[in-house]
Amino acid sequence: MSGADGPELVAVEVDSDVCIGVGQCELLEPAVFRVDDDDGMGVVIGSGQLAAERAAAVIEACPSGAIRIRAGDT
Amino acid sequence: MIDVTTPSLYLDGIPHRRFAELRETSGLVWHPYEDDGFWAVARHADVKAVSTAPEIFSSGVGHTNLWDLDADALEARRSIIDTDAPDHTRLRRLVSKVFTPRSIRRWEPLTRKIAAELLDEFVARGEGDWVELVAAPLPIRVILSILGVPVDDADFLVELSNHLVEGTSDRVSLPDDAYGNTTPLHLLPFGSPASHALYTYGEELGAQRRTGPRDDLVSALVQAEDEGDRLSHDEYRNLFHVLVFAGNETTRTALSHGAMALADHPDQWQRVLADHDLVDPAVEEVLRWATPVLHMRRTATCDTELAGTAIAAGDKVVMWYAGANRDPDAFAEPMRFDVGRADNPHVSFGGGGPHFCLGAFLARMEIAVVLDEMRRRGLRLERRGEPVRAPSNFVHGILSLDLGARTSGAP
Repeated sequence: MSGADGPELVAVEVDSDVCIGVGQCELLEPAVFRVDDDDGMGVVIGSGQLAAERAAAVIEACPSGAIRIRAGDT
Repeated sequence: MIDVTTPSLYLDGIPHRRFAELRETSGLVWHPYEDDGFWAVARHADVKAVSTAPEIFSSGVGHTNLWDLDADALEARRSIIDTDAPDHTRLRRLVSKVFTPRSIRRWEPLTRKIAAELLDEFVARGEGDWVELVAAPLPIRVILSILGVPVDDADFLVELSNHLVEGTSDRVSLPDDAYGNTTPLHLLPFGSPASHALYTYGEELGAQRRTGPRDDLVSALVQAEDEGDRLSHDEYRNLFHVLVFAGNETTRTALSHGAMALADHPDQWQRVLADHDLVDPAVEEVLRWATPVLHMRRTATCDTELAGTAIAAGDKVVMWYAGANRDPDAFAEPMRFDVGRADNPHVSFGGGGPHFCLGAFLARMEIAVVLDEMRRRGLRLERRGEPVRAPSNFVHGILSLDLGARTSGAP
C-alpha cells in the first residue's frame, strides 16, 4: 500500500475484547481513533489508515495492547 | 531473606537497597509473608510481563493485596481492581469515557481555579503543611466534582481516605463500630469501618441521584444499575469506593512527593521555571519518583515461568512498582531526579494491561496544572524538616510535609 509520494500506509483495528477505553489512541491519532461515548471503548474512524511508523507508535503506546494492524491490509 | 513488607520499613521511605537486591538476584525471590509467601517481582521487564498477561496472572482469583481473603470477603469486597475479564471489561467501560484525555480536558479550568486558590493561600502563609494545604484538597475536590459529590463533604471524605490508608498499615485507630458500622471488618475493603461509611455515603448519594439525576458520574452509574445487567448494586458500591479513594489518595501522594523532590532539587525546579516545555516531562518524573502505589498482587492461574523461575498455579505474584521504577535496565541513572528525562517508561500507573490506572490522565492533568500554577507564581519550595510518612507497604503515603514558600514573580 505504499505510494510513490508518501509514507507506507497501514490500516489498524481495535480488539474489542481487549480495549478498556483509556483513550491514548485518540490522544495520539484523533483522526483515526475515538473513544465511543456509548460503549466506552476505542473505535476506528473511517478507513483506519495511517503511516506505518505512526501505527507502530500508537500500538506501542496503547496500555492494554488492544490495537493491531488489520490482517490482510499490510 | 530480603524483607520488603514490614510496614515500618517505609517510615524512612522506600527501602531502595532492598529492592536493588531483589532485582539483582537471578530469577524471582520467594518472599515469606504471614503463613505463606509470594514471588517478589521487582524488575521493570518482569513487572510488565506479569501486568500484561492477565489470563495467567489473575486479579480475580485471589486478592490484589498481599493477604488472602475468605471467599465471602473476596466476593463482598470485589471491585474493578479485583476482577478479570469479562466482568472487568464491562465495569471499566462504564466509567472509561469519563477519564479519557478528551474528557479530562473539560476539568482543567476547575482544577486550575482550585490550584490557584490553594497556592495563593500557601504563599500568603509563607509556610505550612503542604499535604493539608495543597496536596490533599486539590485531587479530592476534583474527583468529587467529577462524581457529583458535594464539595462541602471533601474534608469528611479525606478523613475516610486517611482511615483507609491506615487500614493498609499496622496502625489502626478506629473502633470496629466507628461510623455506625455493624459489618464484620473482614468483609470491608482494607478491613476498615471507614469503608462502611464510604459505602453508606455512596448509597445515599446514589439514591438522591436516582430521583434527581444530574450531569455527573454517580447519576450515570445509578442509571446503569437500573438498566439491569450492566452494574449490580454491590458493584456500584465498590466502584464508588474505589473512585473516591483511588481518585484522591494517589494523586495526593504524587503531589506530596513531587513538592518534596522539587524542594530537594532546586536546580531541577529552576529548569522547569525556565522552560515551560519541561512541565510534561517533569510530571512523568514526579510520577516515577513518587510511585504512589508500591505494589499490586496477582495470582497464577496455571503453572508458568517468569525470569527462569517456575511458578505454580495458585502462587501469589507481587509486582513491586517501587522496584521497577528504579530499575537501571529501564532508566538511565534511576536514582537521579531529572525533570528532563526523555525516556521515562515508569510503571506508576501499572505495567500495562487491563488494569492500567483509570485515572492516569486525570492525575497527569492535576500535577501539570499544579506545576504550571507554581511556575506562574515563581514559587520555590523549601524544606522545613522531615516528612511524616505512612507506615504502609502498599501506599507510599506522606501524612504531613512542612514546606516554606518563596516567590520571585512570574518567570
